[in-house]
Amino acid sequence: MYESIGPDRFELISVAQDSGGPKAVDKWFDRASPTFRCVVDPTHQISSLFGWVNVPSAAWIDEDGTIVRSNEGAYPAELTIGFGLGKVRVGDNSFARATRDWIERGPDSEHVWSSTELAERLKPVDDDTRLAEATFKLALHFEAVGDSERALKHFAAAHHLAPDNWNYLRQGWTHKGTLYASVQVLKRQSHLNKNTDKSFYDPMGLPGENHRRYTQPEWLWTPAVRGLKRLLRR
Amino acid sequence: MIILANGKTKEVAQRSDDTENLWVRIGDLPRATGWQMKRRGMCFGDLCVPLPANRLEEWIADAEDWVWFCYSDFADMIGQKHVRDGDVWSLGSVPEVRRTGLESAIAPDFEMTERNGNTLRLSDLRGRKVVLFTWSSW
Repeated sequence: MYESIGPDRFELISVAQDSGGPKAVDKWFDRASPTFRCVVDPTHQISSLFGWVNVPSAAWIDEDGTIVRSNEGAYPAELTIGFGLGKVRVGDNSFARATRDWIERGPDSEHVWSSTELAERLKPVDDDTRLAEATFKLALHFEAVGDSERALKHFAAAHHLAPDNWNYLRQGWTHKGTLYASVQVLKRQSHLNKNTDKSFYDPMGLPGENHRRYTQPEWLWTPAVRGLKRLLRR
Repeated sequence: MIILANGKTKEVAQRSDDTENLWVRIGDLPRATGWQMKRRGMCFGDLCVPLPANRLEEWIADAEDWVWFCYSDFADMIGQKHVRDGDVWSLGSVPEVRRTGLESAIAPDFEMTERNGNTLRLSDLRGRKVVLFTWSSW
């Protein structure tokens, strides 16, 4: 996205939000051999500042330092992640299209938000949310110093206080291993899809947007697997 | 004791005769909490909060050869959440800083180190359009 729009036209800051630090994210950065600005954010500082509860998330900041758009599930493109049976298609191209439009047309872009719109769309930060944030940082600290028991205790407490924060959940699950975390994400998504009207990401409100930007592996929905699941339930 | 605040981890001295409250040496306040004591009160960047005159005696104490400030009481006053486990204190974001930022829609400033070692401060990029993007390996 950065190269195709034009590096001289804007600054792209890519924030790797991962308590594993450089060790966890270096291979991803190296694979992309990025030409834009890259930072590692082990304490989820950027998400705390911008109020994001999931990844990927993105904000547009104009020349005056004003936020003119902020979205969760803002994928730079439609991507395929995982392999074999675990292959998942994620994201869509709508955010990249809108970003290109904003870079070209600035405040005239129809995708720019007013400050009123921004205030309305940003999630409210109540007492529990702020306590959850402090608790989550405590969990990250104990994880970093190798105190797994206390880390897990505080990850759980943070989730209890802010049940809709996927960052807290996913980072906490990752403490038990990335495979465990991936399975838990799928299980929780499936549970939410079946039992609630909550989606993994809030709608961005962009033309051509795929509302389910994170979907389960397709094989889970093949007739054979559905039949097997029905049999197992009996 | 350890204080987690503003994405940083700082080790600071602890007042040994009262470990129930978070007492911080006045000189340690800026590096540990981001707040600085000034004539106008307590200041966090451009934001200054006057200290209530009737609490000063309780909140500022001479002990163990140092001057200490009862940060946990101050945090309660400004609505900043804090949680502790043993000698580790974690401070949430400052509501007033967040509220001011959101009302004006000014992007909250931050300073981080780029992978290439350069210091990145968002406010240094004024005059350019910025796309800020988070992702993770999980």
